[in-house]
Amino acid sequence: MRARHPDSEGFVESEGLSIGYEVFGGGDVTLLLLPTWTIIHSRFWKLQVPYLARHFRVITYDGPGNGRSDRTVEPQMYSLAAQTSHAIDVMDATDTAEAVLVSLSMGSMWSLMLAANQPDRVLGQVFIGPSLPITPPAAARAGIEDAFWAEQIAPQGWDKYNAHYWQTNYEDFAEFFFSECFPESHSTKQREDCVGWAMETTSEVLVAKARVDDVNHETVVDWCRRVTSPALVIHGDDDRISPLSRARRLAEATGGSLVTVQGGGHIPLARDPVLVNLLIKDFADRLPGRQKTPA
Amino acid sequence: MRAREPDIEGYVDHDGVPVYYEVHGTGEPTLMLIPAAPITHSRMWKALVPDLARRYRIITIDGRGNGRSGRPTDPESHSRAANVADIVAVLDATDTDRAVLVAHCHANGWAIEAIAANPARVSALVAIDPGIPYLGKPQPHWVETGPHWGEVIENPSGWQLNNRHAITTQHRRWVEFFFGEQLVEPHSTKQYEDAVSWALESTGEILAAGDDGFEIDFPDRETVEAVCRDLRIPTLVIHGDLDVCQHVERGKTFAEITGGELIVIEGAGHLPLAREPVKVNRAITKFVDRIEGVPMRQHTWRRGLSRRKRVLYVSSPIGLGHARRDVAIAKELRKLRPDLEIDWLAQDPVTRVLEAEGETIHPASEWLASESAHFASEATGHDLHCFQALRRMDEILVANFMIFQEVMEEGLYDLSLGDEAWDIDHFWHENPELKRGDHVWMTDFVGFLPMPSGGDHEEYLTADYNAEMIEHIARYPRIRDLALFVGSPDDIVPEVFGPGLPKIRDWTEEHFQFSGYITGFEPPTDDEMASWRSQLGYGEDEKVCVVTVGGSGVGRDLLEKVIAAYPLAKQSMPELRMVVVAGPRIDPAGLPTHDGLEYHGYVHGLYRHLAACDLAIVQGGLTTTMELAATRTPFLYFPLRNHFEQNYHVRHRLDRYRAGRYMEYAVTEPEAIAAEIIARAGAPVDYLPVETDGAAKAAKMIADLI
Repeated sequence: MRARHPDSEGFVESEGLSIGYEVFGGGDVTLLLLPTWTIIHSRFWKLQVPYLARHFRVITYDGPGNGRSDRTVEPQMYSLAAQTSHAIDVMDATDTAEAVLVSLSMGSMWSLMLAANQPDRVLGQVFIGPSLPITPPAAARAGIEDAFWAEQIAPQGWDKYNAHYWQTNYEDFAEFFFSECFPESHSTKQREDCVGWAMETTSEVLVAKARVDDVNHETVVDWCRRVTSPALVIHGDDDRISPLSRARRLAEATGGSLVTVQGGGHIPLARDPVLVNLLIKDFADRLPGRQKTPA
Repeated sequence: MRAREPDIEGYVDHDGVPVYYEVHGTGEPTLMLIPAAPITHSRMWKALVPDLARRYRIITIDGRGNGRSGRPTDPESHSRAANVADIVAVLDATDTDRAVLVAHCHANGWAIEAIAANPARVSALVAIDPGIPYLGKPQPHWVETGPHWGEVIENPSGWQLNNRHAITTQHRRWVEFFFGEQLVEPHSTKQYEDAVSWALESTGEILAAGDDGFEIDFPDRETVEAVCRDLRIPTLVIHGDLDVCQHVERGKTFAEITGGELIVIEGAGHLPLAREPVKVNRAITKFVDRIEGVPMRQHTWRRGLSRRKRVLYVSSPIGLGHARRDVAIAKELRKLRPDLEIDWLAQDPVTRVLEAEGETIHPASEWLASESAHFASEATGHDLHCFQALRRMDEILVANFMIFQEVMEEGLYDLSLGDEAWDIDHFWHENPELKRGDHVWMTDFVGFLPMPSGGDHEEYLTADYNAEMIEHIARYPRIRDLALFVGSPDDIVPEVFGPGLPKIRDWTEEHFQFSGYITGFEPPTDDEMASWRSQLGYGEDEKVCVVTVGGSGVGRDLLEKVIAAYPLAKQSMPELRMVVVAGPRIDPAGLPTHDGLEYHGYVHGLYRHLAACDLAIVQGGLTTTMELAATRTPFLYFPLRNHFEQNYHVRHRLDRYRAGRYMEYAVTEPEAIAAEIIARAGAPVDYLPVETDGAAKAAKMIADLI
């Protein structure tokens, strides 16, 4: 049973795809909880939604390729431009003029691009475990994009990040990937949840997504420069997907605050939900001019 | 001593009345604190300024008619317009484009008019027990007495004193009655004394003129409501529900009409800024940070299971007495819990000992207001009224508690150890929801005792403080996870806490664990003693008398008296040599010189001198006298006058150990001191042995919590 069911839900047609969204609670401020790599879908916010929805209006949606959204294998549907369109289309469909964007991992790129290009729709940004090319990737993951298309025999570790391997061993890859995401001891449930959500999509979807070119460093730096709204970055110092240096640089470049989770991995929102919930609320409460003034 | 001195002071004067202001700190935004003059002045904010000034830029203002501002007696000079003009003039004089106003009582009436006339200059208003006319309902006593304001009432009493003639002619009576009514909270003696004394810095004539001035061009209800509705800035209202000056409905209505936030403090009267400073500081900080969008500070949070165990040790900074025993406990604690991290929140001079020991001093320590300097400032001659000094330290205790609380919240400590850390113990009992981690309270005495010089009133005050402490612990036994008495049950004075209160010993035995005394050192063996004596150059055929008054500036009077005894004693004891350790703060220049008398500013390892000498002459502090008891040195001790701890608690303990000779400074002449020197220098002693396992015992009890 879900701890909280949506107050409204629906689908929006975005770039020719059907995107499923949910709306919870009410309040002066809307939090848009963005999707991340489509290996998981919007249920990864399950520990945030019930709490945040008591204080804010909360919107989640499934990115293309998972959850209730279409499983397209058209790479362009996973491009930056498409991803930010999905976010804007969901905001429009829910009459959301402006929102705080909350993102995990690669969702940070879509958040930043929106904040830079459509600042009037973004009140602020919370980045959790941001993964974006603002500093080099972790050593263990360097070069994995290059090896992605190469055929490998019995790959181990990050070599499993491989299009051919996924065709036959997608579940094994998911188990490997989420064990890297959760280096914290006693994380069985969090790994199971994520692998379960991964099984709701297919390796073909993830391969299609991988065909889209990533954003480059210069663009990210330019986005940061143009961001004017407040930012908060939450990052584990044992994040094996995206190094802490990225969070530091992102906080610096956006003038945001940084909370380091010592002993934390890539997905603190699942592993340290109380901390993350309180930080998101505190951040949203501190947005300038939050108190309503009488008309 | 104030907890914080202003960075800038100045006056504005736009109509011939000088108005004083102070600026504290340099943060953003600026907060201007506006008192309800002329019945009070800016010191009313003393419990808030040090905390808020660590984050923001704080401007305080003495409203006209009190404090360091002018004392006009005509009502026109106290008009609302004049007070509003003062606010704007101080903003101008301090180059403040925009500020958050924080006002108390009727100063909120000035604040809203200032905002209405200068909307761009004010970003928010914190209204504490706001006295905005017409809103909510007035207190009935104002309604009843208002019409008789201008009459002459025969023998007025109670609220009838709210009358121009009565206030003018019986100012003190009115002020005492008024603040007595406002401070509905039990145990508010200090807040009451403060409020009355600040009021009495002005006069009844001025206070009456202030009331008349507020009424000039008095707006009608519609105007006031329209001003409130049109404020269009965030507001925070803080109001005591037992406020008998401004009805809580007034604050609620003001919050409603301005669309603001409301914090009702239940059980509180009209002065939460003085009586609930921790709550008010935190409420203001939270509000300002939020409405100004002050970003959260960078911080690190360590996952629960990956934390090492951490202790924050808060060592009482009043003198050096506690530092050595605390270091000894920390060392024993590490033996039992080798992985334990211990950080110290401590001040000079304790930090010198800690640094020498290689202990880790928390960087927030440098923000602490100096309790040691406060006590030094309270001493005159051979006199230190330590109970009143502690009471007058109230603003320092609030300021330091706020720092402690932040350190505990951010440092994720498992346990705090407070060796006579009064601020933690008091304010966690007053604000129990703020407690973090386990807490160990340590002390070497229990019970405030009145000195005879204070008469009945001091008996009442000490009993009230004791009663509050007893109630605190009865209501919140969970605050002190361990209460450690550094000593034994027999060290407790055979007194009661006050009329109708328990016997101190019974209550303490019930509520404390006992570690035995903790000297913090191993007593020297006979061989060590002999070798120290020769190392120090104290001859076999000499009688060496060491005189020391510790590191404080208090003690010159005692030194002079003892030195005057030296030539007298020397006549009958030619082998007498007197070594005077004046300490770093007393200049020996100007003290008499004699053959065989020497002065030292500082000696390294003073305890070796005290152990190896034939007689020590000291003040009545516990640490030094108990060191002498432990080393079995003959000694004379002179407790500071009016120092209840030295005169009662320490003396009782020393009597139990049969250690030392009590001397009363005021009635002892040099001849008597000379006679004691001759009788006791080098004489055998029959002291009870002092425990050597106290630190280990204490550490064991503490370790059980970790």
